[in-house]
Amino acid sequence: MTKLLGATAILLATTSLAAAEGELQLFNWGNYTSPELLEKFKKETGITVTVTDYDSNDGALAKIEAGGHGFDLVVPTHQYVQIYAEKGLIVPLDLSKLPNHKNIAPEWTNVDWDPGRAYTIPWQWGTTGVGVNTSVYSGDINTSDIFMNVPAELKGKINVVPEMNDVVNLAVMWAGGEPCSEDPEVLKKARDALIAAKPDWISMDYGATEKLSNNDWAASVNWNGSTMRARIANPSVAYGYPKEGYPIWMDSVALLADAQHVEEAYKFLDFIEQPENAAMISAFARYANGIAGSDEFMPEDMKTAPEIVVPEASKAAGKFIPTCSPKAQEYMTAIWTELQK
Amino acid sequence: MAEKHFEVSRLPGFATTAIIVFVALYVPIFTLVAYSFNASMSVAVWGGFSTDWYVKAWSNQQIKDATLRSLIIACFAAAISTAVATMAALGTTRRKAFKGQTFIYVMINQPLMVPEIVTAVALLILFGMIKQATGIQGIGYVILAHSAFCIPFAYLPIRARLEGMDLSLETAAADLYATPWQTFRRVTLPLLAPGIAAGAMLAFVISLDDVVITEFVKAGGQDTLPTYMLGQMKRQLTPEINAVSSMLLLVTVALLTAFFLLTRKKNDG
Repeated sequence: MTKLLGATAILLATTSLAAAEGELQLFNWGNYTSPELLEKFKKETGITVTVTDYDSNDGALAKIEAGGHGFDLVVPTHQYVQIYAEKGLIVPLDLSKLPNHKNIAPEWTNVDWDPGRAYTIPWQWGTTGVGVNTSVYSGDINTSDIFMNVPAELKGKINVVPEMNDVVNLAVMWAGGEPCSEDPEVLKKARDALIAAKPDWISMDYGATEKLSNNDWAASVNWNGSTMRARIANPSVAYGYPKEGYPIWMDSVALLADAQHVEEAYKFLDFIEQPENAAMISAFARYANGIAGSDEFMPEDMKTAPEIVVPEASKAAGKFIPTCSPKAQEYMTAIWTELQK
Repeated sequence: MAEKHFEVSRLPGFATTAIIVFVALYVPIFTLVAYSFNASMSVAVWGGFSTDWYVKAWSNQQIKDATLRSLIIACFAAAISTAVATMAALGTTRRKAFKGQTFIYVMINQPLMVPEIVTAVALLILFGMIKQATGIQGIGYVILAHSAFCIPFAYLPIRARLEGMDLSLETAAADLYATPWQTFRRVTLPLLAPGIAAGAMLAFVISLDDVVITEFVKAGGQDTLPTYMLGQMKRQLTPEINAVSSMLLLVTVALLTAFFLLTRKKNDG
């Protein structure tokens, strides 16, 4: 036992006690942070950024909540920002330290989950829509009718990704409701149409990038980034933004309340608000970033990609899916369970 | 050989079952390894042979850091857990049966029974409190956590070895005026060595492969290879992950082979 205690003491003694200067701890989604970006930041400021990965919002939140994590910045998805703020885990940003804060694109400065961008800075955002092979179906693809009311050409050839939040909210918006609706009429319409459409679907599965690329599926409810990769491999694939409404997600960077490297964190936040640096994030993670003027620094294939640059006509239909009320969540789960049968 | 002699391999359906088991065990692994040589970006669509992903993985600094960290953690965890497990095994076998023996076994093997996620959440909360109270950070927490859940894996082969060892050798040494320490050092330990080595290797592999507990316990800059790989799920998986997995598999297989050779010796001699 003494030996064990001794070993423990040695182990703990070898670990650092105080926060070192010139470093920054970023807690981010895996494979999401451009190494070139961090190199450039180090060259300009001398600060070394250490990235630690997570693979789910809940996992990240649990670690932050437990305390003693040692992280400075975290990158939650939009519906988690309020949760972090309400629990006091993140702090409002001191805008005087962020001269580049004005660079946030106007449509992302006053989002309802972070009014006035008091807490967060955009990292990456994307959408859920429909990927369609236009050589199979040449009609209008900017509609949820593609999977809610499947056109004859796509019957038995369309997939729906098994993501409850995306699919049910697409259906609810198609039925004329708001995301997280509790309106029984809207919910009934959405449910009935989903159940009626299901026999026309080939599957409810992941892997749309591959299956759209090699023509296994002629269409799929799918994410924009995945559809872009499918289109690069198979030029007849196109991405539709349902005009009835489609979900938007955004991951944003926030400063943790118990951050050890606050000054360094502000330097980093201001750094990624510069258009050319935001473009480096996009070039690596292949999603849009929310900083105005970053387009011109983007890689050629992303600058014009219709999956990344939302066409003007489709912009208004995009909606952030909030954290649904427990009641709405219950309805959604009920519809989803029935759909899975 | 007598007809009535019972042998499992003669039961009906033995061959079919064996084939199903081997297919289920090895086809996914062979697929994974095969696609690590895929020329295209996809983990599911074949695009020709290439070793590019190995080159890419090899030059990825994050993977290198995570691998080195995994190895360091596994070395420490294997050493600590094997030392503890050896003491525990000696304490529970080199003596007469005692009251509460089964209870002690269950206590030692607790990490085998409790779901990993429960241990992980418990450690997350406990370490969070310790870190906040003391301000001490570092990789030590991960090593401690790994050492703890590796103990039963080191303990079982060591105990099995001890149970197969004749107590009369130690009794003879004592009869010849060897002190308890001399007996242990000159008789018990050399006989036990293969068991200890096997236990250490098993502990090493278990530590190297752990995801759940590490994911919860790790702090900034403490990604191990498995948690790094898990983190890749956010974006498209590329055959780079297959290449890393294949290399990890190779290390694991090499260690398990060594484990097998060491334990086989015991049965022969």
